[in-house]
Amino acid sequence: MPGKKEAAQGTGYPVRKEGLRKRRRVGETIIQSLLFFAGFFSIFTTLGIVYELGKEALLFFRTPEVDPWEFLTGTSWQPHINEFGILPLATSTFITSLIAMTIAIPLGMAAAIYLSEYASHKVRRTLKPILEILAGLPTIVYGYFALMFVTPLLRSLFGNDVVQIYNMASGGLVMGILILPLIASMSEDALNAVPRALREAAYGLGATKLEVVLKVVVPAALSGIAAAIIVGISRAIGETMIVAVSVGAGPNFTFNPFQSAETMTGHIVRISGGDLSYDSIDYNSIFAIGLLLFFITLTLNIVSQRIVRRFREVYE
Amino acid sequence: MKKNNPSYSNGGRFRDNLATRHRAGVIWQIVFQASTVIGIIALTALLLNIIDGAFGYVAYEARVDPASLAVDGVAIEDLPQELLVEILRQNLSSGAFNKLDNEIPFNERSRINVYDLVIERIVRYDVTESWTLRESLTQGAEIRARVIEEYPDAELRFISWINAEFIQRPQSSEAVNAGVRTAILGSLLTILVTILVAFPLGVGAAIYLEEYALDNWLNRLIRTNINNLAGVPSIIYGILGLAIFVRVLGVLTSGAVFGSVDPTTASGRTVLSAGLTLALLVLPLIIINAQEALRAVPQSLRQASLSVGATKWQTVWSHVLPNAIPGILTGTILAVSRAIGETAPLIVVGASTAISFDPNIFSRFTTLPIQIYQWTARPQAEWRHLAAAAILVLIVLLLSLNATAIVLRNRSTKRF
Amino acid sequence: MRKHLFVPLFAILITSLVLAACSASPVATEEPVVMTEQPTEALPDPLAGYLPENTSGEIITAGSSTVFPLSERMMQRFEEEGFTGAITIDSIGSGAGFERFCVNGETDIANASRAIKDSEVESCQSIGREPIEFRVGTDALAIVVSRANDFATDVTRLELAAIFSTAETWSDVRPEWPAEPILRFIPGTDSGTFDYFVEEIFDEDEAPILSASNLQLSEDDNVLVQGVLGSPYAIGFFGFAYYQENAGALNVLAIDGVAPTAETAESGEYPLARPLFIYSTAQIMQEKPQVAAFIYFYLTNVNYEIVDVGYFPASQEALEAAVDAWYAAVGLQP
Repeated sequence: MPGKKEAAQGTGYPVRKEGLRKRRRVGETIIQSLLFFAGFFSIFTTLGIVYELGKEALLFFRTPEVDPWEFLTGTSWQPHINEFGILPLATSTFITSLIAMTIAIPLGMAAAIYLSEYASHKVRRTLKPILEILAGLPTIVYGYFALMFVTPLLRSLFGNDVVQIYNMASGGLVMGILILPLIASMSEDALNAVPRALREAAYGLGATKLEVVLKVVVPAALSGIAAAIIVGISRAIGETMIVAVSVGAGPNFTFNPFQSAETMTGHIVRISGGDLSYDSIDYNSIFAIGLLLFFITLTLNIVSQRIVRRFREVYE
Repeated sequence: MKKNNPSYSNGGRFRDNLATRHRAGVIWQIVFQASTVIGIIALTALLLNIIDGAFGYVAYEARVDPASLAVDGVAIEDLPQELLVEILRQNLSSGAFNKLDNEIPFNERSRINVYDLVIERIVRYDVTESWTLRESLTQGAEIRARVIEEYPDAELRFISWINAEFIQRPQSSEAVNAGVRTAILGSLLTILVTILVAFPLGVGAAIYLEEYALDNWLNRLIRTNINNLAGVPSIIYGILGLAIFVRVLGVLTSGAVFGSVDPTTASGRTVLSAGLTLALLVLPLIIINAQEALRAVPQSLRQASLSVGATKWQTVWSHVLPNAIPGILTGTILAVSRAIGETAPLIVVGASTAISFDPNIFSRFTTLPIQIYQWTARPQAEWRHLAAAAILVLIVLLLSLNATAIVLRNRSTKRF
Repeated sequence: MRKHLFVPLFAILITSLVLAACSASPVATEEPVVMTEQPTEALPDPLAGYLPENTSGEIITAGSSTVFPLSERMMQRFEEEGFTGAITIDSIGSGAGFERFCVNGETDIANASRAIKDSEVESCQSIGREPIEFRVGTDALAIVVSRANDFATDVTRLELAAIFSTAETWSDVRPEWPAEPILRFIPGTDSGTFDYFVEEIFDEDEAPILSASNLQLSEDDNVLVQGVLGSPYAIGFFGFAYYQENAGALNVLAIDGVAPTAETAESGEYPLARPLFIYSTAQIMQEKPQVAAFIYFYLTNVNYEIVDVGYFPASQEALEAAVDAWYAAVGLQP
């Protein structure tokens, strides 16, 4: 050992024959390819989904009664009487998700800011796991909560004539409650990860706590917060059981949140669990809807990723 | 601030401004706090709703009056074991009696156990009517009066639907004897498979994307694709799992390849298939969260490590990962919690609703959410109480899972 | 410090559960339990081979969620009577049940709340399965209104058709009824209940009922109950058990003067009594005697349990016909 130390002292580095040139390290290469495989793996999932859904959706679009244009623009969805317009299902998915996000984004972010920046360590440590646990309840529980608790509440507030027993508002609200902890927890992590030095620098310049939070910490954590919101929106669009129980099972074309409707996912789960024959056109239609849902979330993600990349701030 | 310091010439305005800024700060703090409270209130309402169903009065009626089983005037509570066995022998078919004897011979059973069998198989209590906790607390007197009037033979008891027996017993088609053991085992096994597959794969993918991947089209595609997969409705994963794990890889997932099951009846609708399907479902969530966590690790740490000659992997393994672990674990908890609560994809993959045995990795199975879903859809109110109890079991399960992860997380939380 | 116990505790919990699950080897592979002291006089009886205690192995069933509680109960009784094999029941809907039975051929029994369709019989035949139908019970559809509704107590079939299609208000059906809009609550279009109702009342034409105004659909009967409870002008139909459970808050309507009761449902007098079936094939029953044993047990004991589960017994003739079909399938003389 002492000999080596001397050598190191002499040259600054223990220089070997190959000098400072990059050596091939087999271990590193193997690890890197394993990691690449892990990253690439998700492509197979997507291919699998597109293939499986596409195969069956093709059967649906090949049926003479189905016109792809009418599928995208028709305002009546009753496969039993050969009406295949996806819009009633799409609007209700849109409205319920919109209501959910109106609740979940502001409340979730505010809760995240409170937990991360204001709350004492103890409060944070108690509340956060509780929020995380609630994300794991089967959503059927939330569904019945919407039907038995939120709907009567809405009806007593707005009147029985205005609010139907199954309605998009209560489903959307409860979906918001479901997604709130998800957004709060993920955003809190993002806020928490902002280097402390940034906050201290801002305080040093005389900023108030609020200014530090809103003008320094939140922008710094924006990419994480955006990721949380995207996951939240995706969850809202894909949520099934809440809407199946509380929003109804009749595809109404309406923009009134107090009326009943049926979302795309609600339709899929209804048909796949029902008594219909497997070779009926209804059954094939759920694959077409699934594929459409897949492309909707795809578009949404591409757009939001663009936005995130533009606003993303990298700090040391 | 010093008033007469010339360098603060606009000190007055500054001070006015300061007051406004502080006021805004207070108002916003209240807003943040209120939002958190609103969220908590909503979630508490949800929890209370569940607890409301899990406790309360129940009126039982016996199919066979226990008094009629008394021997020589001795009530069955006080009968010795031999006489209880004799009652079983007389009242059960020979097949039923022999099966019980084969499982554990009667002379090796405890008296309590035999007594319970008499109650369960011959006396057979039935739920006549049940009440929620709120009703039981606020209308106790009316309930008692009603039971005496309408069901004179019934016995009224205040019970907790969630109890030790409920957890230990297998499924039953009678609410009195129903339990969730098979469902708990099914859920645990499924989630174990999910974690074992999704955690390494997800963290690996995140490391690749954050630490190794260059900004080229392929990696951008992978990134977009993962974000997109996070939004695919869970039922679609069920369709995929059915096609891949149940059908194509059926030989593997049924365990036929390993010779653990009879190949003629082997089916891919197993715990393994379900676990793998859920792994696909949570994988993107784990990756997205892990990516965020890795991103939050300061670049200086990496540079410091690399500059002293560590390889990329050494840097990642010894410096980046330990610092990112809290965030990665949070994401994993959230994702796994979601997997435990999933119903729809498992129905498609083929979770059974009723099974008569304890599951293993290569057997058919049922899970807690499926049990809960099935119970809530039944007409009789007692099943909804059982569903509420099963939800509480699920919450406890989630709590213990979280506790583990939180301990890990709190150990390593650091702020830079 | 106590927190730190969670890790090992949870690890132990998981491991022990996994071990417990693994050590419990699948029941199917266990030796069938043979009674050494089996009474000798039972031997000549050809049915002895189909007694629960003499069979073992795997029985896989899937199908209707309506039939599920009944099959679950029969499964439990079958096991209590000595069966040592493994039974699974998947509650996935009649259609999906037939898909597993006829297309993939992976189940032994299909539970169904509607009769098998011709197209499904064809797919069954194309994989070499000839389905045999066993009638096991009856589920009456209850036409219900809220207790707050004090005018409607009985309807005719024609009025029923009007109520669930063209009539806008109750007075359109009968002039003496109030001029309030009818709120309709019906099961989802893919349910056997909907199918059956349309077949009986609208001659299989779905257009009138689906184009009715104020129509609310839900796949969950408990959810429909909530809907009907909401207004005195609401009307709905669903399985009788759901009415029975909420009888304090709902009124059931008589159809053509016949109210749904055990007697009228069993005798066929009540017009909206829907049959419940299980399906299997002769080949399966011969290759897997445990399946035949289960079906025999099911048919001969179902009437002791069916009322408790919430349905009505099938008529005596229907059950006898089912038992005859069973004898024919296993190749025995009744």
